[in-house]
Amino acid sequence: MDDNFKRAEKLYRAVYPPEVMDMFWKRDGSISSAAFADPNGLSVDRGYYRSDTEVIHDMEARFNGHIISLYVRNCLDAGAIVKYLPSRSNIFHSEIHGSPTNLLLSKSQRRFLAGKAVIVK
Amino acid sequence: MIITKQMDIRSNIKKYFDLAYNGEAVFVSRKQSKNVVIISEEKYNDLNRANRLQAYAGPLISRSSSKPAATLSSDSIREDNLKKLRNIGNLKDNWNGNGASAFPKTIIDRVTDLINKLPIQPEIFPTALNSIQFEYDNSRRDHMEIEISDSDEAEVFIVTYFGEEIEESIPFTYESLAERIVQFYG
Repeated sequence: MDDNFKRAEKLYRAVYPPEVMDMFWKRDGSISSAAFADPNGLSVDRGYYRSDTEVIHDMEARFNGHIISLYVRNCLDAGAIVKYLPSRSNIFHSEIHGSPTNLLLSKSQRRFLAGKAVIVK
Repeated sequence: MIITKQMDIRSNIKKYFDLAYNGEAVFVSRKQSKNVVIISEEKYNDLNRANRLQAYAGPLISRSSSKPAATLSSDSIREDNLKKLRNIGNLKDNWNGNGASAFPKTIIDRVTDLINKLPIQPEIFPTALNSIQFEYDNSRRDHMEIEISDSDEAEVFIVTYFGEEIEESIPFTYESLAERIVQFYG
């Protein structure tokens, strides 16, 4: 794995806090853009040829809340960038940044990505 | 109102468009009752405005009327928001798994005060920026977010149905926030 992401690759985001699972859900069932605001960069797991089931299985070992997915192309279409930043505990760890110089997604980017997100668990 | 048939419209389209432009409603009867009405852009906009006013005024009317069900509905959303605010206030440091801080009581208190006063209730969400985001969606399918932190200003972000985006800062006062919300629905 490297920093090259295919546009069709999926990214998975654990929606915290797991103890209040409906915190970011709107009354119409969609997710709020507020879930995409993170000044430290939006942490995600890259799919990297794994199925939804495999990814969920891996993520459930660390997290017990809702999981949403996005495509890399959604991030690129929003003008955001996707960085592969593996950690010791998670080789799939990646982050979505607003720009090369700003980790935080803009309000416009957050709203766009919230509209594209799909709940997978 | 002028009533005519589709065939007549075809042969005299300019005449009927001019009539509609000048304020007439042209009712066109069609087979299987697939009827349509031709009206001017001005009348169409008036109708939309009336619908938006109804969408805005509905909760206010229900608050001032004696209809218990409607009042209960509005109060019920407020109660949900206050309960959610208490949950937000209980979040601990690192609640998002990526270093977000717990919310200071000052922010929870100022948002609680707003929720208690606002006639049109938002949906509310915490952010990892130590702010609370209000969200509104109107009948035109425009979307508005108001981000409230401990700042003297609130950040407003609007995306219209047509994709136009507006970002602005407004003073954090009940009056300016209420006015902005009324504008959004007006």
